Amino acid sequence: MKSKILTGALAWLLAISGLHVTLNVGWGELWHDVQVMLGSARRTLVAGFLPVT
Amino acid sequence: MTSHSDRGSFFRSAKFTDWPTVKEALIAREIGAAFILAPMAMQLKADGVPIKIVYLGHRDGTAIVVGSDSHIRDFADLRGKTIAIPSRYANQNLLMHKMMRQWNMPADSIELREVPPPEHPSALRSGSIDGYIVGEPFAAQSEVDGYGRVLYHTKDIWPDFISCVLVVHEGLIAEDREIVQELVDGIAKSGKWLDADMAHRMDAAEIAAEHFYFQDPELLKFVLSKPVDRVKYTHLAPLKADFDEIMELAVDIGILDGPIAFEEYVDDSFVRPLESMDWNMDRLPRGGEGP
Repeated sequence: MKSKILTGALAWLLAISGLHVTLNVGWGELWHDVQVMLGSARRTLVAGFLPVT
Repeated sequence: MTSHSDRGSFFRSAKFTDWPTVKEALIAREIGAAFILAPMAMQLKADGVPIKIVYLGHRDGTAIVVGSDSHIRDFADLRGKTIAIPSRYANQNLLMHKMMRQWNMPADSIELREVPPPEHPSALRSGSIDGYIVGEPFAAQSEVDGYGRVLYHTKDIWPDFISCVLVVHEGLIAEDREIVQELVDGIAKSGKWLDADMAHRMDAAEIAAEHFYFQDPELLKFVLSKPVDRVKYTHLAPLKADFDEIMELAVDIGILDGPIAFEEYVDDSFVRPLESMDWNMDRLPRGGEGP
């Protein structure tokens, strides 16, 4: 019973995390962030602008 | 078009529709850099926001526009009129005050009304304002659509006018100077490419219209060519003399509480001579050649 609860909780955690990455983060972005943390890629710089000169 | 530099750093742009949201995004470090109004950058710094101006976005590219059938022929005719400005923290606001002084007009002789830039043309068309001063392409929009007329281009009344500046969070400068340098170099080289050939400007109008501004490419082509010096993308180093003038005006009209030292809000250490940059300007694809 205990292992079923743990498995269920783990499955739920993985599912909700996967959904969050898919909807809000993007797998490419996540992979890039991991590479930045590992030092194998450079960070992404986001520059804000208004469509006016 | 790529989203990464020659060295592999990734750059993304985030489009905003109002200045306060840009400010909040900078403070929260949701964005590391932003193009914002020059006096606004000074005010943010005065408010304790850890940013530095590292480069300019462009020079000129602003116009005072009035109705095409109006009787306004020079600045004195604006007395008693209502003119839209993008923000009180815009250099366009300072320019209006500077012009009023030059024409010996009291500061309240023109009603200056803050209106978001995209709404300037429609406000003129509806008759709720008599004119507006704003950055492109909104100055050109009413001209192209036939109901607006440029009274003055900034290049004729405040040469090398500064509107938007590139600000970077000081945290990013401390953590990763290299990526800031890449961004500044990229803007410098893009500007040189833009100003080198009219065909480049036409290509840039297509790209910006489709991927960034989401506006009619013909409008952007008009802005970048009628006349060709309507907006310029070279000489973008932040110079002390330019900013001293802006600062003095801003303090004078009460936009800023007091002066701030140039070194406090500007970091010009990223400015490099264009000649020293290794970049092949001719390798960029032209229309239809593919990436």
